[in-house]
Amino acid sequence: MESSRFIVLPAPLIHEAPEHYACIGREGFHKRAKSFSYEQGAIDPVNVYTPILILGILAFGFAAFSIIIATLTGPKRYNRAKVDAYECGIEPTPQPMGGGRFPVKYYLTAMMFIIFDIELVFLYPWAVAFDQLELFGFLAMALFLFNLAVPFVYEWRRGGLEWD
Amino acid sequence: MNEVIEPNLGETLVFWICGGLAVVGALGMVISRKAVHSALWIALTMINLAILYVANSAPFLGMVQVVVYTGAVMMLFLFVLMVVGVDSSDSLIETIKGQRVAALLLGVGLTIMLVAGLGAGLSGAGTIGLDAANAADGGNVQGLARLMFSDYIIAFQATGALLITAAVGAMVLTHREYWQPRKSQRELSQDRFTDGGHPGNKPSPGVYARHNAVDTPALLPDGSTSAISIPAPLRARDDARAIDVNDITNVRRLTEGESE
Amino acid sequence: MNTGTFNPPEIDYLAIAPILIIFGTAVLSVLVEAFVGRTARRPVQLVLVIGSLLVALYFVISQAGTRTITANGALVIDGPALVLWGALLVLSLLGAMLMAERTLDPSGDVFAARAAALPGSEDERQFTQRGWVQTEVWPLFLFSVSGMLMFVAANDLLLMFVALEVMSLPLYLLAGMARRRRLLSQESALKYFLLGAFSSAFFLYGASLLYGFSGTVSLPGIAEAISAKPSQGPLLILGMALLVVGLLFKVGAVPFHQWTPDVYQGAPSAVTGFMAATVKIAAFGALLRVMYVAFGGIRWDWEPMLWVIAILTMFVGSIVALVQTDIKRMLAYSSIAQSGFIMLGVIAASAEGLSASLFYLIAYGFGTIGAFAVISMVRQSGGEATSLSAWAGLGRTSPVIGAVFAVFMLSLAGIPLTSGFVAKFGVFAAAIESGDTWLVIAAVVASIIAAFFYVRVIVLMYFSAPAKEPAVVAVPSAFTTIALAAGVTVTVVLGIIPQPLLELVANADVFLR
Repeated sequence: MESSRFIVLPAPLIHEAPEHYACIGREGFHKRAKSFSYEQGAIDPVNVYTPILILGILAFGFAAFSIIIATLTGPKRYNRAKVDAYECGIEPTPQPMGGGRFPVKYYLTAMMFIIFDIELVFLYPWAVAFDQLELFGFLAMALFLFNLAVPFVYEWRRGGLEWD
Repeated sequence: MNEVIEPNLGETLVFWICGGLAVVGALGMVISRKAVHSALWIALTMINLAILYVANSAPFLGMVQVVVYTGAVMMLFLFVLMVVGVDSSDSLIETIKGQRVAALLLGVGLTIMLVAGLGAGLSGAGTIGLDAANAADGGNVQGLARLMFSDYIIAFQATGALLITAAVGAMVLTHREYWQPRKSQRELSQDRFTDGGHPGNKPSPGVYARHNAVDTPALLPDGSTSAISIPAPLRARDDARAIDVNDITNVRRLTEGESE
Repeated sequence: MNTGTFNPPEIDYLAIAPILIIFGTAVLSVLVEAFVGRTARRPVQLVLVIGSLLVALYFVISQAGTRTITANGALVIDGPALVLWGALLVLSLLGAMLMAERTLDPSGDVFAARAAALPGSEDERQFTQRGWVQTEVWPLFLFSVSGMLMFVAANDLLLMFVALEVMSLPLYLLAGMARRRRLLSQESALKYFLLGAFSSAFFLYGASLLYGFSGTVSLPGIAEAISAKPSQGPLLILGMALLVVGLLFKVGAVPFHQWTPDVYQGAPSAVTGFMAATVKIAAFGALLRVMYVAFGGIRWDWEPMLWVIAILTMFVGSIVALVQTDIKRMLAYSSIAQSGFIMLGVIAASAEGLSASLFYLIAYGFGTIGAFAVISMVRQSGGEATSLSAWAGLGRTSPVIGAVFAVFMLSLAGIPLTSGFVAKFGVFAAAIESGDTWLVIAAVVASIIAAFFYVRVIVLMYFSAPAKEPAVVAVPSAFTTIALAAGVTVTVVLGIIPQPLLELVANADVFLR
């Protein structure tokens, strides 16, 4: 029951969870079930993600169905006004050589995003296991966050975040 | 310990579907003529790899694959492609003779070596699976957190150095500084109202015209086009769009008809 | 639920103080970039850089006897690591001196006034005229040094990989920031970056295969797995091969040397000197550790592979250097050839081999950084005179600089009474002792070929008529003078009385595992 500290679920669910997984395990995963007895927290991923997979298939199927059925059944009568950009839309302008180049300023933004994205990757396990990691974990993460704040401050002070 | 765990039907299905799509994405990346299409193909590969990771009891890896690779790295790829403007029209002429053949031969050689070596190395090995490892610390992510903050704490903190370097490097290479003070709002507005300035709005592109693209000049009441209605860079490039003669006559008819 | 209690890693902060100091100062110097005014940045950064290197060096010297594995086995502080730390810190100090130079170029700094300004643009002209300097090079420099320190002390492949990147990433940037011939410099940075990233991928793939083989990334752990398993199998051999490819790239061994000439030529000479000396030391330090600690048990498997690479490296480096017309490219190929010689010490796989390699690396580092200091001083109207033809007659017009450069060339050639001779003698002796006599014979032949192009430069400086547009030796400030004096002093002193350093490296001939 120690693990109830990590999985935040209403109490009844926690008690039910292992049985639930074992139940699925009996049907399709008996080989596994033999070699490894399920404990709470050790969740067979295929079972957990089955609903997501089914949902994904349904979503894909619906999208494909809508597009196909629309092209098959809808009337097609084109004229000049119809293929124009819609009233307030802007007609695309011709691109310069090389297929349209962006100002390099975007690169800085992209780089900043990546840095904080990777910071997030490290934050996630830390946050999940925060209560196990004691003060040391907290200080280590604080140092890491400080280190990443430093280039941010540098960029801010030097005008890297200004858009002109 | 090396007891072989037979994959069940679900796992097999997921493997073949996602594995197949990943290979399709990789092939599409190589075959696509346009760099942006290549980038989108590789996104497909990455998402499928993420699903495979999740299906193999490594949800954290799957999450990272989506957040970092599909999200951030792909975005950077796209940005770089757009900043550089890579196009299929770029020269593909070999500067070193025979380079492509040599690269092909060596690449095939490396592939054969790796496939043969991995095949031989892994054929007898059993699968251990992550279940035991994941259970030991109360979950996949918890286990990773423990490792990250104990055995690999130095590597973790050193990653910070890497990220700082990346940020500082991006600033150094791309941030444009100004050697003269920038004009303030006040100075800008003064410029606008002194001689040669143009107070008020410039005519917007596409007025009275069928198109409202920024390269379509506005039509003046007499049917001529207004040069200042299109942005200066387009003017400089001589990229203004030609106006349909019918539009001009229509405008003239409208304006003249009203005046009579 | 068997969640054990979390044990924070035990870190010997004193033992790893040099890394912490350099890393901390690097972060601090980014803050300096953020908060200190433009004109004050350079002096503040210089104080930070030189101060932190000296303090770190003090910590290395003060705990010369430390032998410990810390941070849950991630970092190992042993004899070789401490010797390499000392060498890296001293050479970084000299490298910093070269990078701080600003009297040689009439327009100022070694680096571009603003790396982001387009080459040849009005912006660039204005920045240069106003004497702006890109002080971000200093935090980048410190990060690179901290990566090197971690690289030679890393005891697991994961930390080794991160350290490799921390070391390399700033160097890619620094290579592209030359003040003169900026397009060449930017091209070299791009090549360095692309090929470096490629080789990192090899390293990482190798590490993953080794993890598959042994179930651990720790070097002693891999060694244990090797001795525990009866048959080695392809996973181990493939993983080792790929890992070594990644390391040999940084070393500049043939056929992974292609980046070297372009990068050495394009990067600012100060950066080239710093990089040529320190990256070689760091990469060989890591290579030695990997080979001795992790793969010591299967030396019969990797020795033939390194035999081939060592012979290729010595000969390709020496022969191609013969036909170079640019002095920086020539020194690049020279550095490739030198890698081949140092690999003899790796192949020896013995305590003597290790200490001889350490000595060689130190001798090579000082010689190289000194040679690039001279190159940064020999100038023409358009910047440095890197074309060999411009060096004709330099020995007669500037006898002191000519003599100093001759000393470096003689040392690299391995002529007696210079450090290069003692170094070469050491690795050759170690290789013979390990039974690699044929390899040593090949190395002697390669040394003779290499001696040709080193001596050719001396002949050119002293016995040729001055060129039509002769190069002029600019008068440097104290910075370059110190670096140059240190380089030539160490080269000569190690050639005449090598005993103290030989004893030092002989005391550091065992990797802790």
